[in-house]
Amino acid sequence: MTTKVPYLHYTPQSIPTPELPPEQEKKRKHYLNHDYGILSWLLTVDHKRIGLMYLVTASVFFLFGGLAVMLVRLNLIVPTGAILELDQYNKAFTAHGTIMIFLFLIPVIPGVLGNFLVPLMVGAKDMAFPKLNLLSYYVWISGALFFVWQLTVGGLDTGWTLYPPYSSKYSHTNVLYAGLGIFITGFASILTAMNIIATVHKMRCPGMTWSRLPLFIWAMYATSLIQLLSTPVLAVTVILLATEKLTGIGIFDPALDGDPILFQHMFWFYSHPAVYIMILPGMGVISEVITCFSRKNIFGYKAVAWSSVGIAVVGFLVWGHHMFLAGQGYYLGMLFSILTMLVAVPSAIKVFNWAGTMYKGSISFEAPMLYTIGFLVLFTIGGTTGLYLGVMGSDIHLHDTYFVIAHFHFTMVGGMLMAWMAGLHFWWPKMTGKMYSDFWSRLAAVVTIVGFIMTFMPQFVLGFNGMPRRYPNYAPEFQFLNILSSAGASIQGIGYVMPLFYLTASLFTGRKAGSNPWQATGLEWQTPSPPPMHNFDATPVVYFPPYEYALPNGLGMLADAGITPGSNPALEPAFAPAAGQHEVSHGS
Amino acid sequence: MAANAHAVEEHAGPAGPVAHHFNNMRQQQATVRFGMWLFLVTEVLFFGGAFCAYTCYRIWFPREFEAGSAALNVGIASVNTILLITSSLTCTMAVRSAYKAHQAGIKFWLLTTIVLAVTFLGLKAREYHLDYEEGLMPTAKMTVDLQPQADGSYLPQERSVFAMNVEKALKHNHYDTTGVNLGRVQLFFLFYYVITGLHVLHMIIGVGLLIWQLILAQMGFFKYAERHVYIEVMSLYWHFVDMVWMFALPLLYLAGPHTLHQAVEQFTSAVGLATGGSH
Ligand code: HEM
Ligand SMILES: [Cu+2]
Repeated sequence: MTTKVPYLHYTPQSIPTPELPPEQEKKRKHYLNHDYGILSWLLTVDHKRIGLMYLVTASVFFLFGGLAVMLVRLNLIVPTGAILELDQYNKAFTAHGTIMIFLFLIPVIPGVLGNFLVPLMVGAKDMAFPKLNLLSYYVWISGALFFVWQLTVGGLDTGWTLYPPYSSKYSHTNVLYAGLGIFITGFASILTAMNIIATVHKMRCPGMTWSRLPLFIWAMYATSLIQLLSTPVLAVTVILLATEKLTGIGIFDPALDGDPILFQHMFWFYSHPAVYIMILPGMGVISEVITCFSRKNIFGYKAVAWSSVGIAVVGFLVWGHHMFLAGQGYYLGMLFSILTMLVAVPSAIKVFNWAGTMYKGSISFEAPMLYTIGFLVLFTIGGTTGLYLGVMGSDIHLHDTYFVIAHFHFTMVGGMLMAWMAGLHFWWPKMTGKMYSDFWSRLAAVVTIVGFIMTFMPQFVLGFNGMPRRYPNYAPEFQFLNILSSAGASIQGIGYVMPLFYLTASLFTGRKAGSNPWQATGLEWQTPSPPPMHNFDATPVVYFPPYEYALPNGLGMLADAGITPGSNPALEPAFAPAAGQHEVSHGS
Repeated sequence: MAANAHAVEEHAGPAGPVAHHFNNMRQQQATVRFGMWLFLVTEVLFFGGAFCAYTCYRIWFPREFEAGSAALNVGIASVNTILLITSSLTCTMAVRSAYKAHQAGIKFWLLTTIVLAVTFLGLKAREYHLDYEEGLMPTAKMTVDLQPQADGSYLPQERSVFAMNVEKALKHNHYDTTGVNLGRVQLFFLFYYVITGLHVLHMIIGVGLLIWQLILAQMGFFKYAERHVYIEVMSLYWHFVDMVWMFALPLLYLAGPHTLHQAVEQFTSAVGLATGGSH
C-alpha cells in the first residue's frame, strides 16, 4: 500500500525516511550487515566503514597516549620523581605528546567523523575518491604502527617538537625512524584532506549550495585546506632533519653555520596551523550539537562559516609566537605578537555566536550537550590564556612553563577532546543504530569535565609561579598542586574509560535509535540508522539552510492541537512545504 | 533513482563507465582533475619548504653556495633539461591522442615519454656516481693534510675530507676558492642532494605511473575517449615534476660560474665520449 508521508516532526533538508515496521527493519540491509567477514572490512571502500576503522584504531592510540601520561603524572607526585629515571621521563612525555598529537588529535575527527559524515552531510554516495580513502587509512595505520613500534623499542626523547640539537646531536634515540613514522602519517592526512575538499566541491547533492552546507562541513573544509598546505612543510622539515641524522652533519647544525632556529621556523610553520587542524573539526562538531540541543538556528551562520576560513588563513601567519625567546629578532617578534592577537578574533567570533545560539534556546542536557558546554567554558579559558602567551612581555615569564602546558591542554583537551566526545555521542546512534545509556553518558561527561578542571587549573598556577615544563623534578613547594593535578588526571582517566563500556554495551543492549533520535535537521539524519550502503535510498534534494529548527515547531504545534495531515483540507498546504511529499511503500 | 542507489561498482553509459559514486561522467572527470590539482598544491608547498630553506642559507652564505654550484656537473644537467622538456611535450601528445581515443598514438607517446625519463634518470645516476667519486658527499670525516706555510715548508694539519675534495674539484673547474669556507660548502651539497633526490623520487613515481598507463592502454582501457582524463592528470603531475626541475636547475647548477666549453667537456667525459682531457 502506498501512503503519503508529509513533513512531520522536524524540518528536513530533504525527504525524511519513515521508520519501517520492526520486522522489516530487522531485515533491512545497511552498511554494517550487508557484508560480513574480515575482508569485507579490510578492503572496503565505503567511507562509513573506513570511518569506523579509524574509530577503533584512533581509540587504541588514545589509550596508549593516556598510559604514557599516567607515568608522567605518577612521577610528578614526588618532587624528586617517583618512579622514572631521567631518561625514561623524557621518553614518557615525548611518547604522550607525539601519540596524542600525531596519532590521535590530528586524525581523529577528520578520520572518523569526517569520513563518516562528510558524504552523508553533502548528500553524496561516497567520498570523491573512495579507493584513495582506503589507501590513506592504510598509509596512516602503517605509519602510526611503525611510529609506535619505534617508541616501544627505543623510545624518543626529544619532546614532540623535535628541536635540534636535542633531536640530532644529543639524542640517543631513534629520531630518524620516528620521524619517518610521522612523515608517513602526514602523507595520510594530506590524502584525507584532498578527499574531503574534492568531496565538498564536487559531490554535493542538488540544492546543497555553499550557504546551505552544515558548519561541520565548513570546518572540515578549512581544516583540510590547512592540512594540504602545511603538512608538506613538516614533511620536508623532517626530511632535512633526517639528512642531518644520516650524514652526521647537517643543515640545522651550528658547527657548520647551520641554523637551528630555521628548524623551529619550519616546524612551527606546520605546527601552529596544526593546532587549528586539531581544533577546527571540533568547532564544526560544536556548531552541529549546539543548534540541535538548543533547538535553534545557528546565530550568524556566515560569521561562523567564514571564521573557520579566517582561522585557516591567519593561522598561517602566527607561528613565530612560539619563538619569542628563541632569538628570532625583536621586530619579528612584535609582528608575530600582533598577528597572534588577530588569530584569536575568529575563535572568539565562534564562541560568541555559540553563546548567541544558546540564548533563549530550549536547551536540554544530553551527553553531547554536556560535553559541548564543557567545550565552551574550557576552550574559552584556553583561548584567552593564549593571549597572555601571545603578548611578548608576559610570554618571557610564561614561556616553557606549566602555564603553556595548561593553555594548550585547555584548548586541545578542553576544546578538541570535549568536542570529539560530543561528536562521538551525537553521531553514535547514526553510526551504530543504537542508543547508549543516558545516565552513564551524562555521568561520564561530568566526571571528565570535573577531572579535567582539577588536572589543569593547578597547572596555570604552577606555571605562573615558575615551574618549568619537561622537568622530572620540581621545587618542594609545588608538590600540593602537582598531587592535585595527578589526582585530577586519574578522575579524567575514569571519565574516558567509561564510554568504552557503555558504548560497547549499547551495541548489544541499546535500544534502537531510529533515523533521527535527536530530531536534528542535517541530511545525515534523513536516512536510516545505520545508513544503507550508498547512504541514501534516493538522491536527496535540499531546500533549506542547515539549521531550520524554527520551522518544525510550527508543525509540532499544529500536531499538538490535533491538526494532522488530512484532518483539515484547508490546512493541508502547511504539510506540503517546498520539498513536496514522498511516496513510501509500506508493505502492510 | 532508487535503482541507482544499489548499483554495482560500475555502470556503463554512453560516455563509458562511471564509477558507482558519481552521477555522470562529467562529474567524475571534473573530480579527478580537481583532485590532482589539490595534490599539486601540496607538492608546491613540499618543494617550496626546501627551496625556502635553501634561500635562507644562500642569502647568508652566497660565496659558499656559488662555489658549491661551480663544482657541479652542468653538462649532464643541461642535457637532462632538454630531455625533460621534450618529455613534457611527448606527454602532452599522449593526452592529445587520448582525447581522440587514438590507441596507437597513446602507446607511442607514452613510450617515448618513458624512454626520455629513463634516460634522464640514467644520466642523473651517472652524475651522482661522479659526485661520489669526486668525494662531494657531506661527511664529518677528518684527515691529515700537508699545508703549505709562508716559508715554503709543509706542515701536517687536520682538515675536513670534504673540504679537500671540493677544493680539488673546484681547482679542476678553474674556480678561485679564496675567501670560501670550504667546509661550509657542505650546506650547499646537503641541499643539492635533498632537492635533486626528491626530484628523482618524483620522477621514479612518474615513470611508474606512465608504465601503468601504458599497460592500461595495452588493455584497451582508453578506448573510451572520456578516460583521457586519467592521462591528463598524469600529465599534470609530469609537468609539475618538470617545473620543479626548472627551479632546481638555476638554483643549484647555475648559481656559480660555468662555461659552455666546460659543460660540453663535462658531459662528453661523463658518458665516455671524450677523446682526450678527462680527469
Ligand atoms: C585562541 C587563540 C590562541 C592563542 C592566542 C594562542 C597562543 C599561543 C602562544 C603564544 C603559545 C606559545 C607559548 C610559549 O611557548 O611560550 C601557544 C602555545 C601552544 N598553543 Fe596556543 N594559542 C591559541 C589557541 C590554541 C589552540 C586552539 C590550540 C590547540 C588546539 C593551541 C595549542 C597550543 C600548543 C600545543 C602550544 C604549545 C606548543 C609547545 O610548545 O609544545 N593554542 N599558544
Ligand atoms: Cu601557536
